[in-house]
Amino acid sequence: MSCTRRDFLKTALGTSTLLSFSSVAPNFLIRTATAGDPHRDDGRTVLVVLQLSGGNDGLNTVVPYHDDEYARNRPTLALPPKELHKINSLIGFHPRMGAFMRLYDEGHLSIVQGVGSPNPDRDHDGAMRIWHTADPDRPSRQTGWLGRAVDNVWRADTTEAPAVFVGPIAQPFALNTESVIVPSIQSPDDLMAREMPGRTDGQSVWKNAAELPRPGQQNSLLGFLQRCTLKAHANTRRIEAVTTGAAAGTAEYPSFRLAGTLRTVAQLIRADTGIRIFFTELGGGGIGGFDNHANQLGNHCALLHQLSESVAAFVYDLKRDKLLDRVLLMTFSEFGRTVKENGRRGTGHGAAAPIFLAGGRLKGGLVGAHPSLTDLDGDAPKFHTDFRRVYATVLDRWLGFESRSVLGKQFEALDILNS
Amino acid sequence: MAVQLEKLSDPGWAWTAYEPDAERPWTLAQAGHLYRRAAFGANWGQLQHALSDGPQRTVDTLLRPQADVEAFNAAHDEYETSATSVNDLRAWWLRRMIQTPHPLLEKMTLFWHNHFATSGTGVKDARVMRQHIRLLRSQALGSFESLLQGISRDPAVLVWLGADANRKALPNDSFVRPLVETFTVGPGCFTDRDIQEASRAFTGWFVLRGELRYIPREHDSGAKHILGREGNFTSDDVVQILLEQPATPQRLVRKLYHWLIGEVEEPDAILIAPLAESFAKDYNVSRLVETMLRSNLFFSSAAYRRRIKCPVEFAIGIVKGLEEMVSTTQLAQDLAGLGQNLYHPPTVEGWAGARHWVNIATMTGRYNLASALLQGSGPYDDKLNPRVVSEKYGRSTPESAAQLLLGLFLQGDLDPAVCETLLKTAKVEADDSNECLRRFAHAVVTLPEFNLA
Repeated sequence: MSCTRRDFLKTALGTSTLLSFSSVAPNFLIRTATAGDPHRDDGRTVLVVLQLSGGNDGLNTVVPYHDDEYARNRPTLALPPKELHKINSLIGFHPRMGAFMRLYDEGHLSIVQGVGSPNPDRDHDGAMRIWHTADPDRPSRQTGWLGRAVDNVWRADTTEAPAVFVGPIAQPFALNTESVIVPSIQSPDDLMAREMPGRTDGQSVWKNAAELPRPGQQNSLLGFLQRCTLKAHANTRRIEAVTTGAAAGTAEYPSFRLAGTLRTVAQLIRADTGIRIFFTELGGGGIGGFDNHANQLGNHCALLHQLSESVAAFVYDLKRDKLLDRVLLMTFSEFGRTVKENGRRGTGHGAAAPIFLAGGRLKGGLVGAHPSLTDLDGDAPKFHTDFRRVYATVLDRWLGFESRSVLGKQFEALDILNS
Repeated sequence: MAVQLEKLSDPGWAWTAYEPDAERPWTLAQAGHLYRRAAFGANWGQLQHALSDGPQRTVDTLLRPQADVEAFNAAHDEYETSATSVNDLRAWWLRRMIQTPHPLLEKMTLFWHNHFATSGTGVKDARVMRQHIRLLRSQALGSFESLLQGISRDPAVLVWLGADANRKALPNDSFVRPLVETFTVGPGCFTDRDIQEASRAFTGWFVLRGELRYIPREHDSGAKHILGREGNFTSDDVVQILLEQPATPQRLVRKLYHWLIGEVEEPDAILIAPLAESFAKDYNVSRLVETMLRSNLFFSSAAYRRRIKCPVEFAIGIVKGLEEMVSTTQLAQDLAGLGQNLYHPPTVEGWAGARHWVNIATMTGRYNLASALLQGSGPYDDKLNPRVVSEKYGRSTPESAAQLLLGLFLQGDLDPAVCETLLKTAKVEADDSNECLRRFAHAVVTLPEFNLA
């Protein structure tokens, strides 16, 4: 498969044509052509962040079925132990999360339990702001944690888009940068140059005109724009190669919106676009679908099913293509929910909740204990792992970025990754 | 444009008004350059006028247009009151940029929008944001002193920065810090103590339901030490103290240098000094802009194509050249996708611009926006038609129409080999169709050169 992919890319790129210019083409163009080589991204890691909007009920996701307090506090919402996918003698996955159970058994899924924030906020916007800024002491700050991360790695000769948001809602604040532009897209098409009607050769005019040398021009900006144009052109061809023809149809995804989003992410990873961070979302804009104050059971069930099936399809798609080792997916939600259900078969805004990590280089298993159901933060589980430790882990250990400058201080990384 | 290097850093030569001569003649390329910086591009008629008027008379026209600018802006102010959301306001502003008889005023309003970067995401109230941009426009070529005073009392700015409550017991530095660090003296010229003391001077000011309020009992009237001065300062005093710091005019002149002249190199202090000194006297923005636009430096190779067009300049350059109006609601949305969401700068530092504008995603986005504008159908409809424009100027053959487009968008200043490639691959000579000329126009505006301002 990966051999086929390379052939595709080679044809699509026409690298050889460009290299044959080498006797006359200036150095930077040759570098660009080489940089367009499909192998260039091999080994570059990719982070996929998946936001669960609305406040996911961690207790009905990773269920502490053995604890009597669970059933006692949730007369209508408690899930029957026999239907759970048992992780061990204490906890199990929600009945509709069979796909996560399978990923967990295969070592492709880790659960970080009891994650939360000091100075938590129980208001949606306030809590989301904390997770997005990663700055509980200064939630009014104007940049997001991933925005700062991409600002930090930007260099004057950077031509790639280091991060994108994939989804139909407004771009989440986590990606707010001071200087780098982070695109919002809904499909791979949005990163492809589209031909004008009746045109078949537009892109090659674009490329041919950009790659000609400009003798006598001492203008660094012009050279930069030439390189960007050539890279943008090559990028379109690479995306084309993985979204059309035989390469496009092999993976199976369920028909959920999230699955479609993750398929787009997989295609862009496969196309070696140089994007290191993908931000995606489940639950929608506004307050978010995970906010179940009433009649939680059915809705939550559907969301968790969508989550688990979509992520599993994504993982197996990448695994088939031997790309899973380069990818780490991380979920988060602005808060968990109260232990006790309310009188309307729902739950209130809480505190700590689990984070899921999926990928090919995880140690797998559980990280940290399930939070207590009696020693509470108000009426919700207490956090024991600062969410910024998870952020520091993915920045330092996974992306190879420097977390200290993003998070303001050094947080201890979690030991969750195989080297 | 060939000038010896030493001249470029000699302030005496650099800021003297440019007089064309045999070595540095007044060309179509220079006229295009002036219109890219002092406006949002030009149409063919304007370029021809500029060519015959010469540089100084063209600058006169740009600074003080004949048309009734006040009436135009009053009418547009009125239209804007119909906007129910901040997003609607973006479309109205783009419309104004395209239609205004005084594009330099809008160009400078955009400059101040980038300087006092205030975002509707925090403010949400369309009326408050409308007033904010009106304030910027009212002094865009006026007095920086009045502008700064206005900004320090502007509900939009205070709400956006989280400074809508300034209690005596809890001085709030969220306006004062950017006021000092971003709007005036800049980093490295003050201490945290200065910020704390200045914040006390701003106590008593509140924004309630979008209206500014002063509550005297919440004002701390005690003595403050700010930047080496001592007194029972008020917020107005702080603004005055900041205007008296030599770092303030220097910083503003540098920023305007990057906006009007070039963003590739940081100008020498010796080049900035005379302009900063003059600016500090009365903070007259118009005179500063005028000096820069008329100067030898402005018309030298140090400035020519030494900026990357922001998305607004890129798109309006195409629209202005083809002399029609397009849907600016759609355009505002597309420009946001390219990283320039008007009324929503990313942070109080404004848009970083320069090379940040461009990466493979936004370069692709510019390609697609140009297609959408020029294809004659879809969201931008059939408004822009290169054929209509070329016929208006009597270019009826495909070859002459193509030459006109090269002149219009690049003033013909393109490497001959690139030019030949374009003409050949776009097959202008072989195909007489409207579509073919549209495709040629598209090839021109997606060139690296067209992305340079």
